[in-house]
Amino acid sequence: MGKLGHKLKRDSGWTFIEATLSIVVMSIMILGLTIVLLAFREHLDRSWALRAMDQYGNDALEMLTHEMRNGVDVTVRLTGDTDRITVKWLDPWVADLIHSDLWYADLRAAQIKKNNKPIDELFPPRRLRRGESYQIVKFWLLKYGEIRPGMDVRDMDNPKERLDAFSRSKAYKEATYTIWLTLRYTRGAINPGDKNWKFEKTYKNTVYLRNKNLVFQKGIIGT
Amino acid sequence: MNALAKKWRQDKGSIDFVQVVIGLMIISAASVGTLQALYYGYEQLDYEMRYRKAISIARTYVEEIQGRIHCNFDPNDPAEQQFQAGNLASPIVWRLDVRKPRDIDPSGFDDIFCYVSHGRLIPKDDPLTGTGVDHWRINVFLTWWEPGESPTVPPNQISFEATMVPAAL
Repeated sequence: MGKLGHKLKRDSGWTFIEATLSIVVMSIMILGLTIVLLAFREHLDRSWALRAMDQYGNDALEMLTHEMRNGVDVTVRLTGDTDRITVKWLDPWVADLIHSDLWYADLRAAQIKKNNKPIDELFPPRRLRRGESYQIVKFWLLKYGEIRPGMDVRDMDNPKERLDAFSRSKAYKEATYTIWLTLRYTRGAINPGDKNWKFEKTYKNTVYLRNKNLVFQKGIIGT
Repeated sequence: MNALAKKWRQDKGSIDFVQVVIGLMIISAASVGTLQALYYGYEQLDYEMRYRKAISIARTYVEEIQGRIHCNFDPNDPAEQQFQAGNLASPIVWRLDVRKPRDIDPSGFDDIFCYVSHGRLIPKDDPLTGTGVDHWRINVFLTWWEPGESPTVPPNQISFEATMVPAAL
């Protein structure tokens, strides 16, 4: 066994240099691990908040889509970044009786409301940490091919929709709508003075009002 | 050797330097594995969000086709025959995912696009009704590639089947 082998097999304890180096390396490792764990936790928190926002966005869209599919007419009142949408639907039991539901975005509470009641009582989450917030940025109902000031071409899924709309009939354009809902999640920066982290997502659905273009409509809505 | 030096050199109940180094290597490997799992999980969540968006786009396209059939679709009109034949050979390109915010990447260089098409619209005539075409069958296909995937591998695909009654106007 050579000198090195003897040295490695020596078991007579630590020297001061070995002990110091070990402590320095271990400290760096533990510091690194702590940072990794904190970053992991921050990632998990962000992911969870985004999934909650995503669930709400999809739910809101589905509810309004379902109502519009069964409705007979819809009117839109533009109020800046949010629209007030009135969906009219026939009473299933009484002939010629028309109900209407008002859908709008309450920007202060960050909730979509139907007839002044939130569609989901659990959003936004009650216990938000310091710096966390949800906002509704946009709530629009656009006719097929319609554009609004402030729209970016990258926001449109089908960039040729505007062009295609010139070839479509009036009846089609009057009965085909796209719901746009943009939600934003903001999270406070870890270090004061840094920029806050935010994530914005737009949810869209196109709905064709099947009951709007029916012949019997003329006797009911009075068009 | 004095008492202090003897204390530094004693070895009872301690570990040596090699064992510490091996322990630290194991911790490093565990940390790397954790970070890789985190990265993989994050990519999977992104994929799921894109998958849901793809379903939403496919549904939108189905809805548009249903609207066209329901409004004033005339299969004998030469202008509508191309629509009836479908566009599987020349799908429409739609934007599936804007990966970086506009203020960071205004050009949208790494946006992900999907290819949307529909097959031939198939008329279904129930002989019992005697009213001609009773409904049209619609098949919509949507394909896309995940970031980093080569176009030579099979794409991710969603297909929808739907029906719509013909023009009522």
